[in-house]
Amino acid sequence: MPQTITLSVTRFDPDRDSEPHPQSYEVPFQEDWVVLDALNWVKAHVDGSVNYRWSCRMGICGSCGMNVNGRPKLGCSAFLRDYLPGPIVVEPMANFPVVRDLVVDISSFMDKLKWVKPWIIREETAVGPGEHRQTPAQIDQYRQFSMCINCMLCYSACPVIPIEPEFVGPAAIALARRYELDSRDRAGQERLRTLTGSDAIWDCSFVGECSAVCPKGVDPAKAIQQTKFESTLGMLLPWGGR
Amino acid sequence: MRFRDVSEVRLPEAGPAAGVDGLTGATTARPSTPPKPAAAYPVKQPFTWWTRRRGYLLYMLREFTAVGIAAWMILFLVEIARARHGTGGYQPFGGPLFIAVGVVCLVLALWHSYTFLSLAGLIMRIPLGDRTVSPRLIVSVMYGGLVAVTAVIAALLIWGGA
Repeated sequence: MPQTITLSVTRFDPDRDSEPHPQSYEVPFQEDWVVLDALNWVKAHVDGSVNYRWSCRMGICGSCGMNVNGRPKLGCSAFLRDYLPGPIVVEPMANFPVVRDLVVDISSFMDKLKWVKPWIIREETAVGPGEHRQTPAQIDQYRQFSMCINCMLCYSACPVIPIEPEFVGPAAIALARRYELDSRDRAGQERLRTLTGSDAIWDCSFVGECSAVCPKGVDPAKAIQQTKFESTLGMLLPWGGR
Repeated sequence: MRFRDVSEVRLPEAGPAAGVDGLTGATTARPSTPPKPAAAYPVKQPFTWWTRRRGYLLYMLREFTAVGIAAWMILFLVEIARARHGTGGYQPFGGPLFIAVGVVCLVLALWHSYTFLSLAGLIMRIPLGDRTVSPRLIVSVMYGGLVAVTAVIAALLIWGGA
């Protein structure tokens, strides 16, 4: 078992650097450490200027997305032992402008998220008193898509985003699909119109890597292709629309 | 115990505030414009992005198979054009090169069909009461359909022209 492992971290200071560059750190190897632990060790003991986002350390908050050895991962679930003997190359998530070191500008994603209205829409302005019951089978329809934690790893894996920056993207469409399939929601057709317009489902060429990297098994590619299929049926068949 | 009224909380305003410099004692004025944020490093995708991961490479291969199918369709149209004056004097394409091209196009078409039909279960969501039809069943029906259509076309080609 090695005593240390090399962490190559992308550094970028917009005031000084013209482009990002790697910087190596030797960190103690611990069997139960993840990349986020190693970064925290670097920040506490070697270089306090390293910048990165993190919060919960348990794969729930979706804050610590980064590219580890070229693959989008949550820093809190990428174990050092899986990258032996190293080095471990830690880069900011691809397809987002880099603000500083591993911190990326996520404002475009926040705009896209709002655009698909990821909340339950009903005729009444407020949810009335009492329960809005669902059967387990009704919940099963959308449960998978409701597991999204907005970590944006799928955007980092999607090769369409850099070519079509306005593409609303995998997570936002998966969330739209989640509400579209919710029996309590009443805006299915409105969402379908949004998703079949420009910069949405038809920009996706089904590479499928968004689903491959999803830490929660959401499968955004499935959400997008299902929406394509249903919208096509709706166009071709009078009874195709739900 | 009384919680602090949130209205008492004053967040600092963005940018350096007016005040007295702690070191020199000089009065500092608030700048008329806030400091310009440093520019973020823009998104860049190299031309060779598709070589970086196996999934990207398989995707490109899947898309490329359509080229083989298109090439075969063009050959097919040329063949029809050559036969437009009837069977008299008509010689169909043949030879080792044509067979080699045909085999390559067949492999590409089979790979294209395999990737497409395997994904059908993922793409198609067919409601069945409160549930949906199993993806495995959808894929099985797709492959069954492929076999059936292939058999019908083969039978037409073998016995239809006799």
